[in-house]
Amino acid sequence: MAGHDDSSVSEKKSNDISDLPTFNVENMQSNMKVIYYSRTFMSIIGGVIAGVLGFTSLMGFIFYFLVMAITSVGLAAKAGFSVHSYFDSWNRIILDGFLGGLMSFVLFWTFAYDMVHIF
Amino acid sequence: MAEDLVLDTAIRDWVLIPLSVVMVLIGVLRYFVSKLMRSSQTPDLKIVKEGQVIVRARNLRAAANFIPLKAFRARKAYFTNEENGLLHVPKGQAASNPQAQMFSDPNMAMDMMKKNLSMIIPQTLTFAWVNFFFSGFVAAKIPFPLTQRFRSMLQNGIDLSTVDVSYVSSRSWYFLNLFGLRGLFSLILGEENATDDTQRMMQMSGFGFDPSKSLGAEKDGLDIIQHDWAMPKFEQRAEAVLRKLVS
Repeated sequence: MAGHDDSSVSEKKSNDISDLPTFNVENMQSNMKVIYYSRTFMSIIGGVIAGVLGFTSLMGFIFYFLVMAITSVGLAAKAGFSVHSYFDSWNRIILDGFLGGLMSFVLFWTFAYDMVHIF
Repeated sequence: MAEDLVLDTAIRDWVLIPLSVVMVLIGVLRYFVSKLMRSSQTPDLKIVKEGQVIVRARNLRAAANFIPLKAFRARKAYFTNEENGLLHVPKGQAASNPQAQMFSDPNMAMDMMKKNLSMIIPQTLTFAWVNFFFSGFVAAKIPFPLTQRFRSMLQNGIDLSTVDVSYVSSRSWYFLNLFGLRGLFSLILGEENATDDTQRMMQMSGFGFDPSKSLGAEKDGLDIIQHDWAMPKFEQRAEAVLRKLVS
């Protein structure tokens, strides 16, 4: 599938003694795209899983947050836990694309839930 | 009042799946059509020049601390000099440029109209189709409960008021698809796809007014920057890095 787990997180320069944040904009953007693709893909898969397992209301949303947390941890691990050499702040990995994935999650959750349980 | 309605299997086969498939296909079709219809705009030389100047000024600002003070000042004067500096736009010319250009340029207006149309028409047609064929019955059950206020929005064709709000009509399935398939399209069609309307609107509004305002903004940015030459400290930084590598 195109863009699934695109594992080319590109390094950007960063200074640690003098605190000049130098970063390469193109690499940053490509990294952000990787995050976006990963989150979208995970939220779709998470939606299908939630629907198949029959989660309803609160449980489903908790599952969504769980999936997002797993994605964040996965991304951090891929970046070798040295987040500052790939992104400019922690917030990027953790919070970005959160709500964008929510709609896809709900769609596929509804779809799978209906397919399986009300078929 | 959570009675479990038993819904007909035929609804699954003939409503949910076809609707989703049709929406995905229409999205893909729209992407390719917009790609084909994109007229090759010969870009205006002046606009390209100004854009490049802005990029250079931005690079200068970002990397200001890597060049010595004199060099930075020379470059800064080149950009911000009052008479012939590149970023200095005479007042009269500034105001008239963007507006006039956007609306009297037939190419750009046609492009915007085409983009608008290619966005609106499929949505309208699909919505009308859904309304005509798939109204008046319960289509799906959303897995989470909503308050009564959403009832009128989600249960449009269903005229019973005791049915749980979770059971929605096909119109709401259409809207759910509309929003949820954006993520899927971005995965399937690569980065630049024409299905995200909010992004489009932001792009369109920021298009024509770029030249003169951002020139002034770049000039101000260059003016206020404080130069702090970082090179002397780099020897220590190199030493620290090498030390880490060796030890």
